[in-house]
Amino acid sequence: MRIVVTYKWTCDPEEAAVRADGTVDWSRAKPGLSTYDPVAIELARRLADQADAELVGVTAGGKGVGVPIATKTALSRGLDRVVVIEDDSLREAGRSELAAVLAAAVRQIGDVALVITGDSSVDVAAKMVPTVLAGELGWPAVAEVTAVAGQAGALRVERAIPGGTQVLGISGPVVLAASADAAVPHVPGMKELLAAGKKPVERLALSDLKVLPRNATMTVTGRSRPERKARKGQLIDTADPAAAAAELVTALREVGAL
Amino acid sequence: MSVNAWIVVAEQPTVGNLIAVARSLGGPVGAVVVGPRAVAETVAAGGVDRVVWCSAPDDVPAEASAPTVADTVAADPPRVVLAGRNPGERVLLGAAAARLGAAVLTGARSVSIDGEKTIVVNAVYGDIAEETVAVSGSVALLLDGGSVPPPAGGSAPIEEVSGTPLGLNVIETSTHGFEEADLNSARRVIGVGRGLKAKEDLATIEELAHAIQAEIACSRPVAEGLNWMGKDRYIGSSGAHISPQLYVAVGISGQLQHMVGVTGAETIVAINSDPNAAVFKQADYGLVGDLYRLVPAITAALK
Repeated sequence: MRIVVTYKWTCDPEEAAVRADGTVDWSRAKPGLSTYDPVAIELARRLADQADAELVGVTAGGKGVGVPIATKTALSRGLDRVVVIEDDSLREAGRSELAAVLAAAVRQIGDVALVITGDSSVDVAAKMVPTVLAGELGWPAVAEVTAVAGQAGALRVERAIPGGTQVLGISGPVVLAASADAAVPHVPGMKELLAAGKKPVERLALSDLKVLPRNATMTVTGRSRPERKARKGQLIDTADPAAAAAELVTALREVGAL
Repeated sequence: MSVNAWIVVAEQPTVGNLIAVARSLGGPVGAVVVGPRAVAETVAAGGVDRVVWCSAPDDVPAEASAPTVADTVAADPPRVVLAGRNPGERVLLGAAAARLGAAVLTGARSVSIDGEKTIVVNAVYGDIAEETVAVSGSVALLLDGGSVPPPAGGSAPIEEVSGTPLGLNVIETSTHGFEEADLNSARRVIGVGRGLKAKEDLATIEELAHAIQAEIACSRPVAEGLNWMGKDRYIGSSGAHISPQLYVAVGISGQLQHMVGVTGAETIVAINSDPNAAVFKQADYGLVGDLYRLVPAITAALK
């Protein structure tokens, strides 16, 4: 039995700059494991240990997602091995295409009845890849998962719902999107970092996979940098908190904010 | 009747915005509803042409009906399929998108039709940039659902389908006890970040909120991790996007992930002890200093 964790090696838009023509300049951004993916790996590692399952990491993306630092970082978090689909045609892939590629990889890996993903990626934050992935596999997905017990075929899953939490019983294969607080990822030690360099990395070409074709095609016909409201950036002297508060309240009343 | 747009509904009839967007594209609008029959009835009266209601036992969550939703939508393939951002709706939309082989977009600012193509202006990468995308074939859009649609006069017919749900059942449901937030309609919002040292200190923020009639919101770690508030109160790229008259950021550093959620605010005030905090560059009024002294002083100044 295998558990798959999908992960992403990408950049944080915080470090990107948007040019006047709307194109995004990532040249100063440093790629890393997407913010919430360590949570998914931690959660999956515990389940894999309890079920004596193999834990396989899968990533798909453009050039760079399979560089040694990327696979080693993911492996050091507790994966047993990784499967990498690195193809530059995936660099600007939409959510739907990416999910179809990941689904094809899950089918190819075989003997998988549980896929765990992070809450959302740091760059796109669409929260849709896990749900389309589940749709591709014909499985249900459950999002905002806060705790998991049991094993594939007999899972007990706690998830956040508006206003509270719900516990679900799940008897079949499923994709679970972990919430950001589903587990506290541990920091890999030197031993794990060294071991990560020796774990298997399998590279698959897109042509090795049976990716179901998309009916839709997307073409980007224009880009722009959204206009942001100009902010005043006025600093109020706070040496005397009461005076600062009075000045702020007056200013807010003047602009009609209070 | 062949529909132009399908709306996917899970458990709650909060789809006013989805109906408005679907209507703006012209052509018949269908809704596929998972949840209580009353939800299907509210949607049917809200201005759609056709409703398919997937009935399921009470202890079966919406996600279990994903294949039935996908089958329904694929039997009458639309140009556009829309859903709100709740977790259940995301799952149903994902199933429909997979079955249709549709493109998926989650940051739509506007949608229009140009001949065979659907044109979407879509915010990308945490809203730092916008792309205009032309889609041939079906497109799945995740949007803010909006409020419950008012009765539009008359009601669309409701067809009932009962597919075989996937193996999920609800074992128990519990409430977290946090008051439900209504950030979108709040005129003033105070956002709390990790500059606040303890949950008890929220009392200070509540006093200010009371004085200016504001809702209290937070940065993501305060709701997830610290667990001081419900998750419906965190603002940011993966949380709420709000456009109040006034936003007061207290003890918030001003990272992009948070600030994209308040770019629509009319006026922004920042209070932070770190003079180099990024939040000051994105605020109208900045107060550098100890929030434990400044917040009570502002509350007092309002009296």
